[in-house]
Amino acid sequence: MATPTLDAFQVIADPGRRQMLMLLSKHSLTINSLAENFDMSRPAVSKHIKILYGAGFISIQDIGRERHCTLKQDGFNALHEWLKYFDQFWTSKLKNLENLLNNKLPN
Amino acid sequence: MATSIKHQLFFPHPPRAVWEYLTNAELMELWLMKSDFQPVKGHEFTFRINPVPSLDFDGIVYCKVLEILPFEKLSYSWKLGPGDGTINVDSVVRWELQPKNKGTELLLDHGDFAILENIGIFNAMNVGWLENMHKIAKQLNAADHGNTNA
Repeated sequence: MATPTLDAFQVIADPGRRQMLMLLSKHSLTINSLAENFDMSRPAVSKHIKILYGAGFISIQDIGRERHCTLKQDGFNALHEWLKYFDQFWTSKLKNLENLLNNKLPN
Repeated sequence: MATSIKHQLFFPHPPRAVWEYLTNAELMELWLMKSDFQPVKGHEFTFRINPVPSLDFDGIVYCKVLEILPFEKLSYSWKLGPGDGTINVDSVVRWELQPKNKGTELLLDHGDFAILENIGIFNAMNVGWLENMHKIAKQLNAADHGNTNA
């Protein structure tokens, strides 16, 4: 079954995935131990894991027969990107305005 | 994690002078962008800025004047998307002018970010989640050369 590719915003719109990220923010977990916290089927948990992985929120490492999930930075960066982008945008525009107003207009 | 972008600037000019630069399309073009802005509530206009492919943004900002109170307050919606007619980001830009010491304190608040069918990045999260995000972001930023963006 194909896993849909979601952007960071769609990824965190799901309460289950938010809960998973919160659990993983404390420490790395195997998929099995992560699944124990949820009242959903194992395939459903796997699907969410795949989505989190696809969006760059977590990394997965195979250790022995277990799959370990660890929180990753990329996905969170995506969330910050918009705010960061427009913050820089306004900083630069307001600088223009400041130059314009303070140079051109008499006090 | 901040939920809106805030800036504050002081100008040694009366609010009336600063207001002109926020609401006159010709003057706006000098510092902000070319636009078909009109200082009329409900007026729809667009700004064109550089596309940002990494954010799936085609460079067109769709705006609508939400509130206008001459020399005091101005707000407009600020929406954008990838260019296929859909909107990814819905937000609001608010300007406020306060007379102060023979000049003007100009406040900008770009917030109310909502993403995709009003599933807000922020309003979809409860406070607990926001706190956690904040902790996570702190940890990540500390790990990443301690470089934080104000």
